[in-house]
Order: sequence, then C-alpha cells, then structure tokens
Amino acid sequence: MELIIDNLSKTYANGVRALQNVTLHIPKGMFGLLGPNGAGKSTLMRTISTLQEADTGSILFGNINVLKEKNELRKTLGYLPQQFGVYPKISASALLNHLAVLKGITNKKERKEVVNGLLNKTNLYDVRNQNLGGYSGGMKQRFGIAQALLNNPKLLIVDEPTAGLDPAERNRFYNLLSEIGENTIVILSTHIVDDIKELCTNMAIINQGQVVLKGKPLELIQNIEGKVYQKTIPKNELDIHKKKYKVINEKLFLGKPIIHVLSDKDPKNGFVPINASLEDVYFSQINN
Amino acid sequence: MWYEIFKFELKYRAKRPETYVFFFFLFLFSMVGVDFIFQGVEMGLMKKNAPLVIGKTMAAITGIFMIMASMIMGVPVLRDFQYNVESLLFINPIKKRDYLLGRFLGSFVVLLFIFGAVLFGMMVGEFMPWHQDLLPFTPINYMQSFTVVVLPILFFGASLFFVTGMLSKKLLVVYTQGIFLFVVFLLTKAIKNEYLQALLDPFSLTTLTKVSEDWSVTERNSLEILFNGVMLHNKLFWLLLGVIILMIGYHKFSFTIISKTSKNKKIKKSNIDERSSSIIEYSIPRPNVKYTIKTYCLQLVALSKFYVLSLLKETSFWAIVICGMIIILINSVNLGTVYGVDSYPTTYFIVEELQEMSLYFFIIILLFYSGELIWKERNAKLSLIYDATPISDTIPLISKFVALVSIYIILMLSLIVTGILFQIANGYYNFELKVYFFGFFLEILPFLMLYTIIALLFQVISNNKFVGILLALLFFIVNVSSEYFGFQHSLYKFGGKTLGTYSSMNGYGHFLKPYLWIKIYWLLFASLLLIISAILSVRGTETKLIKRFKGVKHRFSKRIIQFVISISFVFIGIGSYIFYNTNILNDYWTSSEKTVFRANYEKLLKQYEYIPQPKITKVHLNVELFPENRSYSVNGYYILKNTLNQPIHDVHIQKKIASHVQLDSVIFVGDNVSIDTKYSEFDYLIYSLSETLHPGDSIKMKFIQSYTPKGFEDDKSSTQIVNNGTFFNNKEFPTIGYNKKYELSDKDEREEYKLAPRLNKAKREDQRELVNAISGGDSDGINFEAIIGTNNKQTAITSGVLVKQWEENNRNYFHYKMNQPMINFYSIVSADYETRKDTWQSPFNISNKPVSLEIYHHNTHEYNLDRMMASMKASLNYFSTNFSPYQYTQLRIMEFPRYEVFAQSFPNTIPFSEAIGFVLDIDDQKDVDMAFYVTAHEVAHQWFGMQVEAANVRGRHMILETLSQYAALMVLKDNYPEEKIQQFLEFQREMYHKERKKSTVKEPSLELVENQDYIYYNKGAVAMFRLQKEIGEDMVNKALQHFIRDWHSQTGKFKTVSGRYATSKDLLSYFREVTPGSLQYIITDLFEKVE
Repeated sequence: MELIIDNLSKTYANGVRALQNVTLHIPKGMFGLLGPNGAGKSTLMRTISTLQEADTGSILFGNINVLKEKNELRKTLGYLPQQFGVYPKISASALLNHLAVLKGITNKKERKEVVNGLLNKTNLYDVRNQNLGGYSGGMKQRFGIAQALLNNPKLLIVDEPTAGLDPAERNRFYNLLSEIGENTIVILSTHIVDDIKELCTNMAIINQGQVVLKGKPLELIQNIEGKVYQKTIPKNELDIHKKKYKVINEKLFLGKPIIHVLSDKDPKNGFVPINASLEDVYFSQINN
Repeated sequence: MWYEIFKFELKYRAKRPETYVFFFFLFLFSMVGVDFIFQGVEMGLMKKNAPLVIGKTMAAITGIFMIMASMIMGVPVLRDFQYNVESLLFINPIKKRDYLLGRFLGSFVVLLFIFGAVLFGMMVGEFMPWHQDLLPFTPINYMQSFTVVVLPILFFGASLFFVTGMLSKKLLVVYTQGIFLFVVFLLTKAIKNEYLQALLDPFSLTTLTKVSEDWSVTERNSLEILFNGVMLHNKLFWLLLGVIILMIGYHKFSFTIISKTSKNKKIKKSNIDERSSSIIEYSIPRPNVKYTIKTYCLQLVALSKFYVLSLLKETSFWAIVICGMIIILINSVNLGTVYGVDSYPTTYFIVEELQEMSLYFFIIILLFYSGELIWKERNAKLSLIYDATPISDTIPLISKFVALVSIYIILMLSLIVTGILFQIANGYYNFELKVYFFGFFLEILPFLMLYTIIALLFQVISNNKFVGILLALLFFIVNVSSEYFGFQHSLYKFGGKTLGTYSSMNGYGHFLKPYLWIKIYWLLFASLLLIISAILSVRGTETKLIKRFKGVKHRFSKRIIQFVISISFVFIGIGSYIFYNTNILNDYWTSSEKTVFRANYEKLLKQYEYIPQPKITKVHLNVELFPENRSYSVNGYYILKNTLNQPIHDVHIQKKIASHVQLDSVIFVGDNVSIDTKYSEFDYLIYSLSETLHPGDSIKMKFIQSYTPKGFEDDKSSTQIVNNGTFFNNKEFPTIGYNKKYELSDKDEREEYKLAPRLNKAKREDQRELVNAISGGDSDGINFEAIIGTNNKQTAITSGVLVKQWEENNRNYFHYKMNQPMINFYSIVSADYETRKDTWQSPFNISNKPVSLEIYHHNTHEYNLDRMMASMKASLNYFSTNFSPYQYTQLRIMEFPRYEVFAQSFPNTIPFSEAIGFVLDIDDQKDVDMAFYVTAHEVAHQWFGMQVEAANVRGRHMILETLSQYAALMVLKDNYPEEKIQQFLEFQREMYHKERKKSTVKEPSLELVENQDYIYYNKGAVAMFRLQKEIGEDMVNKALQHFIRDWHSQTGKFKTVSGRYATSKDLLSYFREVTPGSLQYIITDLFEKVE
C-alpha cells in the first residue's frame, strides 16, 4: 500500500499559497516531513487526513480516492493533530472508549481489549482512571497516540508530536512510533532534523508550500558529503562571509558564530571540511 | 489603565458580528414590539404609543431578551480563561480594579448600545403603516421609559451575569441566571401583597400596573413614567442589588491563576513514579471493525448516552429542574380558578399549568444546550480528532438530537413527579398517568423535537453559537406571529397547530387524529432538515458555508440518499393525505376569504332583514345522533304561521352555514313552491309559495338535514358534535330569514369593506326589534316535541317531558314532549352519563306532582352534586314563592365538555360546562359556594328568559342577566352567612373595575347595557343588592312578581296587548312603583347613570 499525492495545491482565502503542486509517493514505513514553521506541513497533513479540501490535485491511498471517499480513508486512518484538547473531567479510558466507538469498535469486549492494550502500550494503564485534566504534556501526547492507534490504522499521521516534550518522553514516543512504522505508513512532521534521521526511512522537505527535496535521509546526506565546510568566526565578520560564501547554517558555539558553507571545492581561508549532516541538507534547501 | 482595558473591550466588541446581529435583531423586534407584546390584550381606549404602553413594552422586551445581556455580559472575563490568555494577562502590572472595571464598563457600554435598539426600534415602529390612530409622536416618552424602566434592570442584569461569568467561568451557569431572573419574576406573581409584588418584579411589569392602577383613560394616555412611588423603590432595590452583586464579585474574584493549577500539581506528583518506568512489550489487539447498520445503531446509542451524561453533569441543568419544580409548586396553588374559586387538582389542570410554566425552561434548554452540544468538541479542541474518525456524518448530530430529547424527557418526568406530589399534598389521588403522559409526550415533546432540529440547523448554518441561538429564537417568533398575517395552514406553517383542549368527558376527542398526522408530517420534514444539517456541519477546518455547500456532494452517501428519497416520498405522501383531508374533503377558508364572505352576506342579504316572515309555532324533530362518527341526521317539521296582518308570499330559509351540513329537502306541505337559488352561495333559499299565506294561516314545513363530517379539517373543528358530550342548540337547524350573526362585527373590518357602522344592540325605541326576543327572532313561542336516538352508551336529553324511552337496533331512543308553549330555544345533549335524581315539592301546590330534579354528570365528577341539588331546591323554593310558580315538571342539569366555559338555561334543561362547577374545590371557610350560586343563577333563567323575555334592544341583558344575578344572590343570602355575600359582592366589584378599563367603547348605564358582561353581571349584581338593601327585598320581589305577571311571554297582559317584549324601561317602572319618593334617586343612580 502506498500513499500517492499528486499535484496537490491549496490557496487560502487570504491569498496564502499553502500548497503548490505537491507530489509525493509515500511507501510503508516512517516518512518524515520537514520544514520551517508555516511551510505548509500541517495543511498537507490535514488534507491527507480528510479535514481540509484541496483546490486541485489528488491523493490516492491504495484504491481510496482520499479527497472524495473521505470516510473510506478514515476507516484506516490514525491522526494526531498538532494541538488538541481533551474533556478535562473525563478519564483516559472513558475518552478512549468513546473515541473507539466513533471509530466503529462497537463490540464491548473487543473495545475493552483494545483500549486496555493501548493504555498499556502507551504506559498510561496505571493512570487510566484519572481525569485527563490532570495529565502532563507527555501523558497527554501519549494519550493522543493511543487514540490514533485505536482502529489499527494503515496510515498514521502525526503532526509535530514531540513539541514541548522532554527528551526522555520524546524518546519513548519515538520508540512507539518506530514500532508502529514496521507495518504502517507513518507520516511524521517535525522541524527537528535529528528526529527524522533517527526514525525515518523516507523524507521530504517542504518550504513555502513546495516540496523542495525528497528522498532517503542517508542518500540525501550522501549527496552533499564532502561539500560541507565549517568555520568559527568573529561576530562582525558574519555578513562578509554570508556575501562571499553559500552559508547554509549558522549557530553559536560558546558565544561565537560557527558557520557551515556548501562548496564543491575546499574554500580554504580557515574552513575545515566536516561530515555532512541532515541538518546541512535541510538548511541547504531552506536558506536558499 | 482601566481606560485602556475599556477601550480594548470596545474595540474587540466592535469587531464581533454578534454585536450587530443583536442590535439589528432587537431593532427589528422592537418595531413590532408593541404589537407583539400587546397581541390579544384588550387595550380599551389606550393608544399604542401611550407612555404606559411604551413602558410596558420596553419592560417586556427587556425581560424576554435578558438572555442577550447574559451572552454579552457573561463572557468578558470568561473569555480570557477560555482562550488561556489569563496567565499572559495577569502577570502584567494591571490592577484587579482596573481590569474588572474596564471589562465591565466596556461590555456594559456595548450592552447599552445593543439595547438602544429597543429605543430606536420602537420610535421607528411608531411610523409603520399598520400603526394608526395614535397619539402625536413624542420622543421624550420613549427616552423617559427607557431610562426609568430599562436602564436599571439592564444594570442589574449586567452585574449579575458579569459576576457569575467571572466567578463560575462557565457560560451555562451564566445562562441559568437568566432563568433565575425569570423565576423571580414568576415568583413575584404569587405574592399576595401588591406593594411587595410591585417592588420585587425585576422587569417592573407589575410595578407599572400598580403605578397606573388608579389612572383614568386620559391619564393612561398622557401620564409619563417617572421615578417615583413604588417605581422608584423597585428601581432602587434592583440597582442596589446589582451594586451588591458587583461588590461581592469583586471581593471574591482572585487575580491569580493559582486556583486553577494547584490541582494539577498534586496529580503530577503522584505520577512521577510512573513516568520513569519503562515500556512497551505489549502487542495491541487488532479489533475487527465492520461498518454495518448494527455498528451505526450501537454508535448512535453510545454517543447519545455520552451526550446525555455530559448534559446531566451540568449543574445548570439541575438548577433548571429544581427551579421548574419550585415554580410549579408555587404556581399550582390556584388551578382552574372560576369566579375566584379553585378547582380540584385534577391531572389535566396540573398538566396545563405545568405545560405553561415549563415552556420557558424547555425553550432555554433547547436554545442554549443545542448550542453547547454543537460546539462541545470544538470547545474542548477535540474536534480534529473527532472529525478524522470514520464516524458517519449523520450519527454525531443525530445523537446530539437524541440527547437533547432525552434531557427533555428527564425534565418532563421530574415535572410529572412534581405534579403528582402536588396532588398528594392536596389529598387528591386520581393521578391519571395517561393524561400526564399525553400532556407532555404528545403535546409538548413533538413541538420541542421540531424546534430542536431548527436550533441545530441554525447552529450549523451560522457556525456561531450566539448567532445560531438568536436565529433559532427569531425563527420561533416569526413562526408564531406569522399566524396573524394569515399564514396559518398546517401544511406550510412549521410544526402545525396545537392539540385541542383535553376534557375529562371527551378526552382529546377528534382533535387527536389530525394532530398526529400533521406532527408526523412535520417530524418527517424535520428529519430531512436534520440530515441536511448533518451534511452541512463543519467537519475539519473548512468553516465557510459556501465551502461546506460545495463539499456536500462528497458527503452524500448512498445510504443517506436512499434515506432522503424515501423520507421525502413518505413526507409528500402524508402531506397529500393531509391536503386531501383539509382542502378537498373539507373546504379550507383563509381568514380573508371568511371576511369577504361575511361582508358579501351582509351586502346582498341585509335587504331582507325585516321583511315579513311567518313565525315558527311548532317544532317536531326526529334526530338520530351518531356520536362515534360525530354525525347526525334529522327529519322534522316546523309549523309556520303568519302572525302579521299582511299576506306572505315568500319564505326565506337560512341553512346553517357550515361544511358538511346538508339540508337535503325542504317541503312545504300542500304547496308547489318555486325556489329562488340566487343566494345559494350563502345557503340562503327563497321559497315562493304558490298559495299566499294569509294572516292567521299556517303551513307545515318538513325538512331533512344531516351532518356528516369527512376526514379532518385544518382549523379547529366543531366541538358541538363530539364522541362524548354532544351539545348543540336549535341554531343548528334551518332558521327563517336573515341571520345577523353572520355579519362582520369588527369595526375596522367593516370600514374596510364599506359596511355601515353596526350597533352592538338596537336602540331601546327601535320598533322593529321590540317585537323580537332574540336577534332575527323567527318565533314567539313553540310547541315542542322531539325523538332523539343515540348510541347505546349515551343518554340524549332535550327540553320537555320524557314521554318514552326505548332501545332499538342497539341504540337508545328518547321521546321528549313539552306540554306547554315554550320559547324557540332548545338544546340537544348526548353523552355517557351518570345520574343523580331527587324531587322538589312546591309548598303551595301540594296537589301538583313533585318536580323531578336530575343531574346528568360525568362519572368521576361527583364533588359538587349535593351543592347543585341543594341549590336547585332552594332556588325553586325562593323563586316560586317570590316571583311566580315554576312552569315545568322537571329541571335537569347536563354536564358538557369544557370546550366552552358557561352554563346556559333552556326550557327545563341547563347544560353546564364541566369546567365551571363540577370540579370546583369549594372550601366553605374561604370560598363562596360558586357551584351553588351558578346553579341558582341558571335556575333563575327559567323565570327571566323562559317566563318573561326581553326585547332585543339595549337593556335586554339587564332583564335577563341582572335579574338572574339578583335572584341567585337572594338564594345565596338565604343559605349562606352575610360575610359570604360580602365576599361575593367584593369579587363582583373587582371584576367590574378591572374589566371596564379594557373596554373600547364608552360605558353605558345598566338600563342601556349592550353586550358588556362586566356591566350586566358584575355591576348588575352589586346594583341589585344595593336596591334591595335600600327599599327592601320584599319590595323588589313584589316589583318582579308584577313585572313577570304583566310581561309573561304567553300570558302577560301587556305583552299580549302590545305584541312587543319588555324593555328595561318597563322594568324600571315596576321598581319605581315600589320605591318611596325619597328613594327614587337610587334607581336613577344605580340603573340610569354610569357611575
């Protein structure tokens, strides 16, 4: 089963072109969607999740024409939105139960098994009877993934799931995702580059509504391997360097700027070659 | 600083659509506000722009739309919490005082702006074309009323809603305060002390009534509404209460967010252990999901349950339930009150009271809870998760609908329990659960279901909670008021009509069938609306209505299409069936068609009003009643006699104008008549006799008439011939000549159709009416005989002696014959009766057979039979002793269903409504025995009306009604202590003063009274009592004795000589005769003067 997005475009009423001719083929496994804030990631994910209309283009999931047969897709869809709330005065197991009904699991016994299984899986079983209002950010996010998995989805879409989670919580979350990714399409959007490298077999970078790069993370890194150079410079020389070289990344190390440049040949002048990272790939596309 | 917050609030509000929608809505409503509020209220000579009317209208509009105030004032603080900006706000260096003051004043100014629409709307409304005959336009009156009446209560409401919103942080709690205010308003109505009532009424409607209670008509039209007297106290009270609430709120409001987070922290601590433990060797079961009908049903049930539980968790709901129960317990104290006496708490009274009182609660729940449910997922920010589940588009909305309906049912059950508790508390144990069940689940629930769907539809379309609520309310108001613009056929008037009156005797009778068909028809329509709403509802992030419309084609599943098509077919099918019944089997008349018809009747036929016609001198009827299908057939004859001194060539016959009444044949025995049918449109036929009817000659007119109703009508169909409790009179049968009763009586309508102004009653000197005892009098007395057949359960009764009674073909037959002449006025009654019998022996004429007394009543209505029987005896005693002997050998009372609330005397029979005496709960300590009194009054009509008739001119009712009042009062006086008489008279005085204010015409004196019942009943009773007090009971009785002797319809010497009937002038001359010269002025004062 493959998700085929073909020439998808969407322009909002205020003129923002959120998606422009997006074409992607997404196979089984984890797929990372990388891009800066406002690049159109959420729009794309909502469109795939049947929550938004597209102006043109099509999305096919197996035999399902997603834009038309929305409910067919929803039957195999798991979706975790970027932001969501809960009924504060309801327990996790009650709300999961409720959502399980919405997903069509109407057999009581089955539902109980699934809910308990997922509560265990997401390590929420011990707190299942607590009101959701008292959950921490990480617990809430795990609850979110539990609900997304209720109907055993073949397509799981998670929109920036780790924003605001502490590192331990984030690792736990990713472990869970990668296990699911073994036999499901999981589309993960994030702006944290390392996450993609660790998790995803395929990825795409979106900027200003367009797909600027797609492929397997390691191959993409391979493509610029040997072309990335690094230099630590004084602050006041930053502008000069930016004019002179193709600076793809700048960050501070101990208060001093470190810049990465992309160059086919060694620029010398104090630059040292380094191993290319996915971050360099990302910034080489974004900061053009 | 507060000013910045104030400005921010104003700017925020200026951008919100609600602000303008509310303003616009109030503006439009206020334009027709006077007409809406005073709809159906007799305003008398008061004009629609009198300051008092303006004040009351403003008060009522403010009261009704207090919910707008709650929507505006409840949110300013709540909003910050809702959008989680409270922590951003409260860390800023703003003071609590500045924050609250700014928010409050800002919102209050917006509220004033919105309610300013009432002021301007009403002013503009004054210039609308339908407002004519007004006082000159005086803007200051509006401003004054607005300042005095509206501003203070707005301030109070604003404070209350602001504070509850800020402290509870829940919108539903705020709305509930609106109910609280309404409850206070209702509670004040139960307060006996008038001052307190006026003081505590939050909307100051009672206050305005109290302020103006002593105003004359001119004062009502001119005096301004000012801050003084009880009005000032009322306004100060509520202003002060508002200030106190604000102070409490200020004190209680905490300017931190700690209260909100402390709970979370505690929970987090307990979870720390759990967080470190590691995971995941657990496989998730793979559920086997099938999307079958069964799945959908289970989903529907589970979701409905979920929503019901979530609504039941709302404290506001329970607050409403408890408020409802309290209100009902307090208000049910006075049930079915007639003449100041309450009835037994029979179930139908309780149900009617509950229905009326609880409707407001139901509407509040309907409007607000539908909004809450529609927005439930989005408010919790769970909607994206919901929307991405494979639940069908329709199930969530349907389950929300089911949940709301379940909530109504829960409220209804609790109301029923309250009603039963009330009955138990009053020692009444005949609960009649069926009546409770029908009253709520048949009468109210379908109505609520229909409007719930409307509310959901508007929520979906507007996609704005407040606008949705308002649109639903607007729809409700427009739909209700459209009826007054002739928009009334059940097929296109949303929801159809209400179910008719319930009667113990007849249940819901024949109203039930059409009601059910029409409700099913609309429920089907509403179910289509519900499906459409579901398909249009927001799913995902596309909220624009246009986008949603475009998306509809993908949301129409095959199943939905099938459903819509099949429901549409059934809908159209039932609609056609209804149309077939109401418009094809029956004639459907719009009200303007009716008006035109009546105008034409008068224009074309008025010429015949006084043409010479023979009089009916004998009536013989064979009536077959078929109660089960509400039909009858009659085969009878009249003997018509030329009592004039000129020959008669034509006989004009008016058939009763009503559908399905067939006059199958009219035969003038021994004459070859020719029929002129040019007025057959009006069922008015002119028979030209081949042989002239000379003075003194008679002719026999045979006729066959039948009534066979077909299908059902759209209008409330006739309540005369019903399944149990038929009651109609001789007007059902052919009458001679022009019938004035078909004329238009409304002054404006007459003007519109260029008809001459119509007198309520002819002048006392009108020679043509002096010879009529009733309008269009076609008889001066008849011999009467009737054989009536009815079904085997019922007893049929009419005037006369029961000669014979038998069964034939499984039907009951009764043969009645009157042994002496009687007036041409008889009723035919048939129902399943129990009988109470007794006799009365005249003390003077021991040789005569005793008079048999009979009360025919519904089986459970035995409460007051003894009182009625006692009254019959006492009355016969008093009247035959003091006036003249009783002329018949029987006196019967027959109960009839409460479609009409009166008792009426016919020769030796008195049909008596079940609502008027049979279920009165008379407490001899505190009540006047009205069952006794009304009976006495009706028995008195056997003298005043049967023995002596009055000419059909002004003062007629003084002879018939005022004298009966007097006679009954004397019987009451003989049997009850003086204080009861005083209590009775006090009630009559009150009624008189209350009613005269509503009158639109100049008040006449008693001797010239027209149709004003407050004069001939209420003032009459008081005047006659005064007269007998002054000149002595004996003297009055002597005068009446002579009056009856001289003006008796058959034997009175003046009557026979003059050939005319008595007038009030004749009567007064008998009073003057027995009144000493020094007291003559009393007669002038009481009867000839107005004051």
